[in-house]
Amino acid sequence: MENHKVKNLLILDESQNPRFEKKLTKAYRMKLKFPVLRKSGFSPKGFLFVFLMSIFVFSAAASAEPQVQQSEQDSANTAAVKLSSPTDTASTQSDSVVAKAVDETGAETQVDSTGSAAKPDTVSNETASAKSKPVEEDKFGHYRNDIKRGERFFRGLLPHNNEQTSCVSCHNITRSDTLNWNPSAKDIANKYIEKSFAEFKAVVMEPSGGKMAEVHKDYNFEDADLKTVKAYLDDLSMRGPAPVKPTIDRLLLFLFLGLIVTWALLEMIFFRKIKYKAVPLIIFLGVFGYQVKMLYEEGVSLGRSQNYEPEQPIKFSHKVHAGQNKIDCKYCHFTVEQSKSAGIPPTDLCLNCHSLVREGTRSGKFEIAKVIDATENGVPVEWVRIHNLPDHVFFSHAQHVNAGKLDCVECHGEIAEMDVVRQVEDLSMGWCLECHRTKEVQFVDNNFYESYDEFHEQIKKGEIDKVTVEMVGGTDCMKCHY
Amino acid sequence: MKEQYYKSLDDLIYDARQASSEPDAGDRKSILQMKQEAKSTGNSRRDFLKLFGFSVASAAIAVSCKQPVEKAIPFLIRPEKIIPGEASYFASTYFDGIDYCSILVKVRDGRPIKIEGNTMSSVTMGGTNARTQASVLGLYDNKRHKNPTYEGKKISWDEADDKIMLFLDEVKKRQGKVVILSSTIISPSTKAAIQEFLDAHPGSEHIQYDVLSASGILKANEKTFGKGFIPAYDFSKAELIVGFDADFLGTWLSPVEYTKQYAKNRKLVDGERSMSRHIHFEGGMSLTGSNADERYQIRPSQEKLVLANLYQELLSLNGQSGSSVPSSPVDVKKIAGELSSKKGKSLVVSGSNDVENQLLVNAINHLLQNYGSTIQTDIHLKLRQGMDEDMDRLVGEMESGQVEGLILYDVNPAFDYPEADRFVSALKNIDLKIAMPILGEETSEHVHYVCPDHHYLEAWNDAEVKTGIYSLAQPTIRPIFKTRAAQESLLKWAGNPVDYHTYIRKNWEENLFAGSGETSFDDFWNSKLHDGIYESGQLENGMLEFDAGAVDSALAQAKITSGDDSLELSFYTNISVGSGKQANNPWLQELPDPVTKVCWDNYAAVSPKLAEELELEDEQLVKINDFGPIPVIVQPGQEYKTISVALGYGRLNMGIPDGTVGKNAFPLIQSSNGIKQYHLPQVTIEKLDGAYQLARTQSHHSMEGRNLVRETTLEDYLANPASGNEMRETIKAHMKSLYAQRKFEGFHWGMAIDLNSCTGCNACVVACSAENNVPVVGKEQVIKAREMHWIRIDRYYKGDPDNPELVRQPVMCQHCDNAPCENVCPVAATTHSNEGINQMAYNRCIGTRYCNNNCPYKVRRFNFFDYTGADSMPGNRKDPAEMTTDLRRLVLNPDVTVRAKGVIEKCSFCIQRIQEKKLVAKNENRQLQDGEVVPACAQSCPADAIVFGDLNNEESRISKFFADERNYHLLEELHTLPSVGYLTKVKNKTI
Repeated sequence: MENHKVKNLLILDESQNPRFEKKLTKAYRMKLKFPVLRKSGFSPKGFLFVFLMSIFVFSAAASAEPQVQQSEQDSANTAAVKLSSPTDTASTQSDSVVAKAVDETGAETQVDSTGSAAKPDTVSNETASAKSKPVEEDKFGHYRNDIKRGERFFRGLLPHNNEQTSCVSCHNITRSDTLNWNPSAKDIANKYIEKSFAEFKAVVMEPSGGKMAEVHKDYNFEDADLKTVKAYLDDLSMRGPAPVKPTIDRLLLFLFLGLIVTWALLEMIFFRKIKYKAVPLIIFLGVFGYQVKMLYEEGVSLGRSQNYEPEQPIKFSHKVHAGQNKIDCKYCHFTVEQSKSAGIPPTDLCLNCHSLVREGTRSGKFEIAKVIDATENGVPVEWVRIHNLPDHVFFSHAQHVNAGKLDCVECHGEIAEMDVVRQVEDLSMGWCLECHRTKEVQFVDNNFYESYDEFHEQIKKGEIDKVTVEMVGGTDCMKCHY
Repeated sequence: MKEQYYKSLDDLIYDARQASSEPDAGDRKSILQMKQEAKSTGNSRRDFLKLFGFSVASAAIAVSCKQPVEKAIPFLIRPEKIIPGEASYFASTYFDGIDYCSILVKVRDGRPIKIEGNTMSSVTMGGTNARTQASVLGLYDNKRHKNPTYEGKKISWDEADDKIMLFLDEVKKRQGKVVILSSTIISPSTKAAIQEFLDAHPGSEHIQYDVLSASGILKANEKTFGKGFIPAYDFSKAELIVGFDADFLGTWLSPVEYTKQYAKNRKLVDGERSMSRHIHFEGGMSLTGSNADERYQIRPSQEKLVLANLYQELLSLNGQSGSSVPSSPVDVKKIAGELSSKKGKSLVVSGSNDVENQLLVNAINHLLQNYGSTIQTDIHLKLRQGMDEDMDRLVGEMESGQVEGLILYDVNPAFDYPEADRFVSALKNIDLKIAMPILGEETSEHVHYVCPDHHYLEAWNDAEVKTGIYSLAQPTIRPIFKTRAAQESLLKWAGNPVDYHTYIRKNWEENLFAGSGETSFDDFWNSKLHDGIYESGQLENGMLEFDAGAVDSALAQAKITSGDDSLELSFYTNISVGSGKQANNPWLQELPDPVTKVCWDNYAAVSPKLAEELELEDEQLVKINDFGPIPVIVQPGQEYKTISVALGYGRLNMGIPDGTVGKNAFPLIQSSNGIKQYHLPQVTIEKLDGAYQLARTQSHHSMEGRNLVRETTLEDYLANPASGNEMRETIKAHMKSLYAQRKFEGFHWGMAIDLNSCTGCNACVVACSAENNVPVVGKEQVIKAREMHWIRIDRYYKGDPDNPELVRQPVMCQHCDNAPCENVCPVAATTHSNEGINQMAYNRCIGTRYCNNNCPYKVRRFNFFDYTGADSMPGNRKDPAEMTTDLRRLVLNPDVTVRAKGVIEKCSFCIQRIQEKKLVAKNENRQLQDGEVVPACAQSCPADAIVFGDLNNEESRISKFFADERNYHLLEELHTLPSVGYLTKVKNKTI
């Protein structure tokens, strides 16, 4: 119990804890820095790359012909507008495609499997208007001051009588990288926005569930305080958490290195103040080399998302299900042997167990209730897709798992040890081909390969001892791209 | 002398020019000019930098927006047997009032994306045609009605029902007349629903109106047999077929069925040594006529004379004597002799809508004892039951105010009724006008209520296409718009608010279940729904008696004259747009006509002789009577005094956004004795100023007079199976190479095409477009020779331009094992797979088009623009037919990449289907069976002309085809080693 608390305290609000950031993975740091950008389909790496390329282009163009610069900027602007264009809806390998085309204009037809159409982000607008009118009532009749006070209460910044930990020590406002089993502030806010204060109070003060009852034991809050908390949560539900300001260390580093390169060049050609000419040359080569390396790294990782580890709408832990409870992967992902797609389990499959198991040891009732709510309300859970191949790649799970007898962990890593699923491999074409060149096919066991007479003959003669994927055409373009 | 092949008259002229030794100054000049022009545009360094900078920046931005957060949304409750990512097939029925086809609908993730033939049907036997294949795109059509409307304003269904029923009640009290005007109904349940409506509203009437009428046959049979019906024809039993202007392989009655039967009897594979013989009489060059062994040109008005002469000849051969008739323009003595030697094994058909012509045909068939063998009178074809006079009578009644309510179901008389203006003005006299259309069409502009019907892929239905042959249609997607089954509307207005699914089930339980011999109705229903068909084996009551006397007396009254010498206009429907119902289908609009190779327009086809006389050239605008301006096509094989114009064009705002495609020729149609005649005698043609550019896929694939189509006659073939293909031995002897021929371990895919079976119906072209997301490029791009079809059907004329023979050849990527394209690609985007497939990696292609240039077959296609919305740059887009809209894009096949601008594409042998079937075999732990992998083109083919399989397997069908002595490869002398083989064409002609 003690340990648990300490852990929670540690991650109470990671965005305000600079020490904590060092522990985070590189990819996740990026997301932390640009949470809003990430959602609207903008990649920070890509942005960096573009920025650098633009600088390069502009400087090239400017040095050649000063007049060109304006038109370059124009074209860059028009190109920037194109950011919102949807990705290809046709070649998806999605789990479900629902055609919604009932709108009278007919133009609103959308295949929502791609999820490419980002939800309108109203955060910034509302924040701006809220700032300008501090005491105005919001939609729920809450005063701005109440909301502010509620937030401070939630964060434990207000002094109050008892020794209890602040709300935020269990309920994150922004997300964390390790799994915090307690519902986040946003989750709570969403759940109680439609409910009355009395209900909210009842749950906080007299919880019914085992774990929550234990933690919330001896709570003794004033109604006035709780009301401000409810006001803050309602507000949070509508606005979402305030965006974290991005830091641009890598870009600054790159620009700084650029300055050094410039200086080294100038020194070599014009200033010539340093006696040993090798010094600026070495500096130039070293720094410029590092810059090239940075560019290369950013370029390579474009469009790939190794270590991608997004937050899911439900704190579903593969570690608990597949690891501790030893549920077979194919119990939930049951189309993996028949279809291209392994399949996200339909919600009613969760209820096979969770119609009985209504409370988790660590998560309490809150997370499991989401599955039950989804079934009752008929609104499917919108999971965030992690392993996502480009549209022009045709990958079949059935081919690899059923015909190729591969184990899930070979590509997905030790999922059974992950609370939050992370993309372990980079899923690059080189990675695919590497495996295709070395992996054996089920040449003897599968009768399909009887058509390959020559290889059977060669095995019999002992000329070859195995048949790899490559030998049966596994490195041909049109095995995956068509 | 060596016979000369040419693709168009231009080719002939070009060849003539080549033959003369005069150097071509024009060409050289144009090259010089081009150089000049290139200089004057002045591509400066600044432009280069601009372009360079823009492309780098835009590429970078395009790359940077690669990673949106994607959602994976599962089913709440998974429907049984639906596997995400895998296709399901549902048996259904295509019927649009004109064409019938039993089909399977491929549904991927809730969307119907492809139509396949249903091999269980004894009518269409797994075949399809272009219109059936394209119909799936009609589902995703923005021009569909999206909700019920009243005078153009959106209303709810409840509101519409209340108001309509209130009015109907009033009419009922007055015993007023309500007319349901529909196209031919072949659905027994729909007929029952209409009957229910008529019963609920006494004094009402149901009238069937057919755009393409067969009233002539119905009337003639009424005289002959005492009952108006269309018999079941069986072309597979006929050893000699004589056709009179009946395009039975393209548009006449049941073309898919007839093509299956016809092709079956013309195959010379699997040890078959005989084939049918086909003689055709016609004015214009039709698809069917161009496939005939012997073709005679007659004007439509001469048909009666020829038929009468043929009848007389047959009578005299039979020892009987008939009345004397003027002599025929074509000598029919020999044909009569041939026919009388094939008694009971021949078939004479006529596409004419003239009762007397059809009576003559009946009499001839009777004389030849064809009734009972090639023509069955105890099984009726239920298509085209409309009587033209009924429709004319209705318009009269509407004008005189006798009709109070009019319900239009699946008809569009404001467009296709010859006197459309009269119809529209008569509509004003009607108090309640309801239309139940699918598409927004001309007629629904003039009605009060539009109560939109489901598209057939969203609806339940049934059909009885021939006596005792039933099929079912089932929904394959939830209705996209707020539409309702027309039958449900009618039943509701009749006071029986039942859903149509329940209604069909009840109808089948009451009427069909009893005769099936099954015990449980649910089992019966489920098995029939699964198969899509049910054949009860029931026949029409009794064998009908042929009343020879009635025929003779009717013929005695017929005026048979030799006619005058004036010009005649002949109307036809082509295989793509048909009657115009699917005019808003860009796949069909871009489908080239199998004869003229024109798409996106109709035109007036004139004979070369007439063109010379009137100094007409291709694309010259003319006026025919008051019809025009319309461009001219000089058509080899066209009868001297006949001009042909296609119907079904000229629909308002259909095909292209805000415009019309072609000219509407329906208003020119005239009736004789109350029956529409699809030809117009005594027309005048007037040459106008100017020309109109037509999009032709004609001569930019010219193969410059090499031996591409090899053909022979049946006689020669029987003597020497390799006849016509003799050069193959010589070429084979020269096929020596420094390099070892590549061996393919495992599979080596190949395709064989039987040129004797292929009719050129173009079903494969549409099937390929649907399967492989082949873009529609629009008229302007086709003119620039940028059409994208992966498979094309080349046609060559041979012999006398006034009366040529015609041969066809489907050409797709030949998947050469020594491919010229692969060697020249600088980025290795096109390579050879270890299964012998010439593969194309779109993402690697940089668009140099070297491969295109180096391909001797010209089968590679380049995306000059982004036609389907795959590209993230909207500026790259070219969308002439709204194919980039979200709704249209629902038809795309998710298993095939949607190509962006700037890459080459071509036939992939439907690699996605190969991979799919290989995986199925692997998962089932067995070898791949021969015939398991069927590419889209082979699946759709109603003539079974395409065979696909593994060349490594010596037992496979494809290996047998490749071992046939008729087999040859296209341009095999180039040593490209194609994986596609052709079997020589054998014509059954006596010379």
